[in-house]
Amino acid sequence: MTTESPSPIKARHPAADAIAMFFKNIPAVVALIVLTAIILAGIFGPIFYAADPYDMVWAPFSPPGEEGFIFGTDYLGRDLFAGILHGARVSLLVGLSAAAMTVFIGVTIGALAGFFQGWVEEVLMRITEFFQVLPTLLFSMVIVALFGASLPVITLAIGLVSWPAVARITRAEFLSIRQLEYVTASRASGMKPFGLMFSIILPNAAPPIIVQTALMVGSAILFEAGLSFLGLTDPNVVSWGQIIGSNRPYILDAGYTVTLPGVAIFITVLCLSLIGDGLNDALNPKLRQR
Amino acid sequence: MNTPLLSVENLKVRFPVKRGLPWKAAQYVHAVDDVSFDIQRGETLGLVGESGSGKTTTALAVAKLINSWEGVVKLNGTDFFSLDKESLRLERANIQFIFQDPYSSLNPRLTAERIVSEPLRQLKNLSKKELAESVDDIFDAVGLRPEQKKLFPHQFSGGQRQRIGIARAIISKPQLVICDEPVSALDVAVQAQILNLLRDLQKRFNLTYLFISHDLGVVQHMCDRIAVMYMGKIVEFSNRMELFNSPQHPYTQALLSAVPSVDRKRRERVQRIVLSGDPPDPLNPVPGCHFAARCPSVDESIGCLKKFPPLDTVSESHQVACYRFKR
Repeated sequence: MTTESPSPIKARHPAADAIAMFFKNIPAVVALIVLTAIILAGIFGPIFYAADPYDMVWAPFSPPGEEGFIFGTDYLGRDLFAGILHGARVSLLVGLSAAAMTVFIGVTIGALAGFFQGWVEEVLMRITEFFQVLPTLLFSMVIVALFGASLPVITLAIGLVSWPAVARITRAEFLSIRQLEYVTASRASGMKPFGLMFSIILPNAAPPIIVQTALMVGSAILFEAGLSFLGLTDPNVVSWGQIIGSNRPYILDAGYTVTLPGVAIFITVLCLSLIGDGLNDALNPKLRQR
Repeated sequence: MNTPLLSVENLKVRFPVKRGLPWKAAQYVHAVDDVSFDIQRGETLGLVGESGSGKTTTALAVAKLINSWEGVVKLNGTDFFSLDKESLRLERANIQFIFQDPYSSLNPRLTAERIVSEPLRQLKNLSKKELAESVDDIFDAVGLRPEQKKLFPHQFSGGQRQRIGIARAIISKPQLVICDEPVSALDVAVQAQILNLLRDLQKRFNLTYLFISHDLGVVQHMCDRIAVMYMGKIVEFSNRMELFNSPQHPYTQALLSAVPSVDRKRRERVQRIVLSGDPPDPLNPVPGCHFAARCPSVDESIGCLKKFPPLDTVSESHQVACYRFKR
């Protein structure tokens, strides 16, 4: 029988351990703080620093710090700091919504393929492979060129080229979890297929998907920057990549106009990678002792 | 004799194995090959055999947790297999399963309470209060404390986890509980507790068990009747006393001779039968007796290598599938 003394044990959700583990990882926590600051700057910055990034406010190419413009001005005399603040909003928004879309498509397809198997899996995985072998940059450029350079189209283009990775991870997790006994037990308890998929298997398959998502936000931001650099962007909204792209010809005369938005991208993506790494260590404790 | 609670007729389970080119015909592993048995209300039927003999597959197929190739399973006289999806789902309340591994059989993300109450949530329409009462009762019945309801599986020991598994299996008041090696993953001290718990629950809730094990000691302790399986076939079927006192099939004899004993007299009396050879390849079943390749008394002249022997009656409650017995 229950032999140990009846001292009340507190219920500890398995996720609580993961969160505790994450907060022990100092680089990941620092990255989380920095990223939070960047997100807050993206959301509230334009309200407090109400300068229009398209206004010509001063002489072109005035270096950082001059005349109160802390990041200086670009080749048209526009305030670079305002550009980076406004750009943060756009870059993060594109990154997050592209990642959300990636996860939505990838998880749906991967879950269906891994759960139902048979011909469903065959068909869905062939489709996934089709998208996976497309040259990503070229394919997204074609989409943007066809449907016009607006933020929703760019988000869609990034989402469409990056979901196969998530679909494959989800399928692999579903394949291994669906044959565990607790899934059979739930089936014996009379649970219906969609209940099994979404309330039993998916929560247990979540850790690697969450890690992949964090990394996906970073790569979506990079992707958006790449497309904007090539000029495939909405000309009416500022993004970091677009600032770099438009100032590109003056890189030798005024390096800071390219470097500063580049640094912003670098820091954001680095933070996302560190957070993704931290999540990976926290959520997959078995891999931790490397 | 009244209708048995469960009757299994000619159950076959085959798994396709695809090798080579996709248009080549699939080969099949004959995991369960023409198995029939009955279980009476309130009794415990044991299913013993070595690893890979098809015990667990039989159990999963009986509960329709995997698809069978052929065969009929009747619960209370009604065909369990031919039910439509929704009726089958609801009927699952009557056939419940206790799993072998208490670690992988509990969802790590749900509380004990939630795991135990799952069958009721899915299969019965109960109010919150009734649900809570049922959970309290069943926690008490399996020897778990009420304050453990909110804990997660990783906070329990192996024995306690198996208690949660048992609670989940009996909360819907099933008629048949399939115990798939419920104690083989536990250490010996805990095994005894769990076996006694299962027996207590059987009396208290009038349960019928299909009890799977490879441990003959456990089977002797738990079961009224025993079916011995070898390579997907039932080779001997008997009540407990007769099986342990006068086993007829050479495989059963070998199995029983391998049971260690502390009784010196018994040790001297029973000669250890050591089997040589390997079980046959399940992909290409041999035409004759599946055991022929390892059988110490195989005899070609009586047909051991031609056809699998039918179950012969030894006594009213004892059947054996061996040609040697007839002579």
